[in-house]
Amino acid sequence: MLETAELHFNVDHGYLEGLVRGCKASLLTQQDYVNLVQCETLEDLKIHLQTTEYGNFLANETNPLTVSKIDTEMRKKLCREFDYFRNHSLEPLSTFFTYMTCSYMIDNVILLMNGALQKKSVKEVLAKCHPLGRFTEMEAVNIAETTSDLFKAVLVETPLAPFFQDCMSENTLDELNIELLRNKLYKSYLEAFYKFCKDHGDVTAEIMCPILEFEADRRALIITLNSFGTELSKEDRETLFPTCGKLYPEGLHLLAQAEDFEQMKRVADNYGVYKPLFEAVGGPGGKTLEDVFYEREVEMNVLAFNRQFHYGVFYAYVKLKEQEMRNIVWIAECISQRHRTKINSYIPIL
Amino acid sequence: MEVSALREELDSMFLQLLSDLEELEAKRAALNARVEEGWLSLAKARYAMGAKSVGPLQYASRMEPQVCVRASEAQDGPQTFRVIKADSQTPEELGPREASLRRRKGPTKTQESGASVVPQDPLNWFGILVPHSLRQAQASFRDGLQLAADIASLQTRITWGRDQLRGLQKRLKELDPGPA
Repeated sequence: MLETAELHFNVDHGYLEGLVRGCKASLLTQQDYVNLVQCETLEDLKIHLQTTEYGNFLANETNPLTVSKIDTEMRKKLCREFDYFRNHSLEPLSTFFTYMTCSYMIDNVILLMNGALQKKSVKEVLAKCHPLGRFTEMEAVNIAETTSDLFKAVLVETPLAPFFQDCMSENTLDELNIELLRNKLYKSYLEAFYKFCKDHGDVTAEIMCPILEFEADRRALIITLNSFGTELSKEDRETLFPTCGKLYPEGLHLLAQAEDFEQMKRVADNYGVYKPLFEAVGGPGGKTLEDVFYEREVEMNVLAFNRQFHYGVFYAYVKLKEQEMRNIVWIAECISQRHRTKINSYIPIL
Repeated sequence: MEVSALREELDSMFLQLLSDLEELEAKRAALNARVEEGWLSLAKARYAMGAKSVGPLQYASRMEPQVCVRASEAQDGPQTFRVIKADSQTPEELGPREASLRRRKGPTKTQESGASVVPQDPLNWFGILVPHSLRQAQASFRDGLQLAADIASLQTRITWGRDQLRGLQKRLKELDPGPA
């Protein structure tokens, strides 16, 4: 079977693939992280970052430098790069990019709704929204009282519209319902993205589908872990699990019945990919399940760069960049709190 | 003799003061450790949830406290501070004077503005499904609150003890002007 990707991928997307590989090469190295860990203050951190690809991105910041400002500026830089990719892309890569931004849009919608619940001003919340997830109707989100309001009045024109099918209800949006809404939207989004990649076929499907399957299973496991001891019922819990992963259907069903970490572990032990991950939890470094999952995600994203002529490199680059931002924010927090025992718990991107 | 009784009282008061000071040091170290733990757990929660999901956007600017401090004064003793839940009914104190209820702005984690009758758990400001590190942070800050009240009581007791000690020493000098 002739692989058609190599024949005409470069016509439309070759320039961007070359660009993203160049960007990937300028991610922080282990030596950079060693230098950052030795900083005593956030100003030192800023100076060290100036020698890397980040350059003078903090040059316009007024004193005092806070971790939150560093995070905001890093996000803006990522957004500029991503916008450049997006503006130069053709179909179907443009649809792929749109799918990538949907997850940030969902986060922004939830942030805005929570802000409305806490009676925050829209401008204050807008400043903290993720720039990758911006859409034109953002300011109007806080006027919605129920989910159907939200859909009909605000989001029907955005790319999020098709994900609202399972979430329409007349319940008022309080904390529980906002959490349910967030997870249901994300579930629909992930399943739609998975279908898009699978239908596209070729190398993109080969690379992206395992990554998205892992993402779906990871969401199911983390939701289960965090729901122990809360008011979320087991039936509600099961409706939040995305179904495009390896755990579907038996694993998800068992997971919905789990009541503590041990039971969850036993469910995961049935799957060869997840057994070693659960065994790495705890251990000498005190790793949490989230840490172990982030490590696995980094592994899969780095491997995506070993194949050519697929869209997965763009997704992988953005995710690796996000991990790098998480690492820098963690190191910055440890420095500013002067609590250096766990400063080496970042995940280096090799 | 009155002098020797006075000396004994002075000695026991002094010993009490020293043991209070030791306890104060230990409690201060414990409070520092709890607060540091709490902030680190918050940083871990930000790592897991995203840096903007755990921050000043998530709580309202006006909030009702969940715990309050009640100061009470015994007739001839120092003031003590107790941390109590804001909505519980406390029994009347036996002292002659009931000190007024003081509102205390503790760490933001334990304060909450509730529209409902039952004050909400501030953990729910960050969503229903919160990572374990956030719960740990809440537990650390709660312990810290209790320690802070104990430290306040200990400090007033130490100042009161010092004054008592000075008073006793003066009386001793009057009764026994020789080398004391």
